[in-house]
Amino acid sequence: MYKYLRNKVAILIFTLPALIVFSVIVFYPIIQTFYKSMFDWNGLGKGTFIFLDNYKRLLKDSIFHISIRNGLIFAAVLAVLQIGIGTFLAFAVSDIALKGRNFLRITYFIPVVLSITVVCQLWLSIYNEEFGLINKLMEQLGFLYRQNWLSSEKSAIYAVAVVNAWQYMGYHFALILAAVKSLPEQYFEAARIDGAGKIKAHISITIPLLYETYKFCLILAVTGGLNAFANMYIMTNGGPGDVTYTLTFLMYRSAFRVNEFGYGCAAAAVLVIECLLATIIINKSFRRKQITY
Amino acid sequence: MMKLKKIKVGSIIYQAFLWIYSLISLYPLVWMVFYSLKNNDEIFVTNPFGFPTNFRIENYITAWSRYNVPRYFINSLFVAFVTVLGTIILSVMFAYAAARMEWRFKDAARIYITLGMFIPVQVIMIPLATLVRDLNLNNTYLSLIIPYIAFNLSFSSMVFYGFLRTVPFELEESGYIDGANIYYTFFYIILPTIKPAIATMIIFVFLSSWNEFTMALILISKESLKTLPLGLLFFQGEFTTDWGAMGAAMTIASFPTILIYLLFSEQVEKALTVGSSVKG
Repeated sequence: MYKYLRNKVAILIFTLPALIVFSVIVFYPIIQTFYKSMFDWNGLGKGTFIFLDNYKRLLKDSIFHISIRNGLIFAAVLAVLQIGIGTFLAFAVSDIALKGRNFLRITYFIPVVLSITVVCQLWLSIYNEEFGLINKLMEQLGFLYRQNWLSSEKSAIYAVAVVNAWQYMGYHFALILAAVKSLPEQYFEAARIDGAGKIKAHISITIPLLYETYKFCLILAVTGGLNAFANMYIMTNGGPGDVTYTLTFLMYRSAFRVNEFGYGCAAAAVLVIECLLATIIINKSFRRKQITY
Repeated sequence: MMKLKKIKVGSIIYQAFLWIYSLISLYPLVWMVFYSLKNNDEIFVTNPFGFPTNFRIENYITAWSRYNVPRYFINSLFVAFVTVLGTIILSVMFAYAAARMEWRFKDAARIYITLGMFIPVQVIMIPLATLVRDLNLNNTYLSLIIPYIAFNLSFSSMVFYGFLRTVPFELEESGYIDGANIYYTFFYIILPTIKPAIATMIIFVFLSSWNEFTMALILISKESLKTLPLGLLFFQGEFTTDWGAMGAAMTIASFPTILIYLLFSEQVEKALTVGSSVKG
């Protein structure tokens, strides 16, 4: 039996394909990103070693500052809207007495399964100045105010972030709902006997019990916000001007539009460090007593 | 009495919020399907919000025949299918060896693969693009499929690893006693016990590769290889005036995933949220 599970040939056959694919496609490129971030490199040949010059240039680049700021705004919008609304809706749907809860659950989740292209195109038409849903609705309600939400420098980044929040709110909703369902029923019964109201019971009992779930949701929302790319690529192309740039967009433009691959790698490296930092901070601040039940 | 009234008002506001959010979540989609069946006059002027007055199926015919939608659809289907197959096979095999067999570096190998779950695609995009170019895989199906497999591998391996740890070791013993070799045991005795996990991962990998955008954008430029998320971008340019056909193309692109969700809603939610227990 011992020898049976130590069959070396079988182990190689089972593990090598996965290890090779992962190493070549994921691991090797990560090393390359960091390494090439120290080169003046146009994507062809070796490039010239310039050590930290790309990073120094980033620090002086005004688009880099905008990108960092937008990443933080995006992350904050996602965290507040997705986790806030997700919590409220998940607690509501977890109540068996709620009428139409299955229908509600499905409608909250459905945008998650759509492609991001479809969602962005759809919201482009919703935001459209002349014919869009929002402005048409305003017109029906008698407001004369019209706006192209995506072309105003102030609102553009929020308008883009809201689209992402709308699409993936259901994901956080489902995570929180699954976690609420897994809690033992006695907790709520105890609260009900004590006479705690529904909202009070949730705030003082459910939310503290779900802290592992919240940690995960927060990491997801924050890193998702910092990584944002497809939304701006499809909806604003970084504009108007460059007010909706994010780090990934900066990286994309540097490498694939102006052939500054080394500079793009430096932006990508900063992104990794940023995400790592965010994850560590969230983990640290959530490190409280482990709750067991 | 006062208190009762207060509770009632509160509960009405609470109920109203639930249904209003449901509308916010669903109506944009309904609106899209509606305008995919209208002409411009109806969309812009006469009937922007409501049910289409007469179904203009011709929008679907336009989307399907004039633009490249069938090509994109087939590409998406093919890429998703091969990605699912490749990911499941590679990760089940790896997870089996990591969870149940005895070898020196098994923990190190597992942790190494797990790293992939924490790496955003964007970070490796530039080297990946040059790698694909250097391997002469530019503009082939493989240039998309192999990275998709690589990126789904980590997560899928961890899910299978978790499941395989819970399967009793007596199963291998019985296979051993019956004289079956390790491959037979793996394929005919172990695999059937993790069927539910495989079903979950099929849904997960299918949805993620059907909807994937960023890597497709970087790696595919040839029109005949584009998948739906990439192909639908063409409406941004010249066709923005034809909202009906645009809506039709978007509806076609969304149909498979919505259908899968409506048929298997609980499994889909489980598939997409199973990550929290692995990543957390």
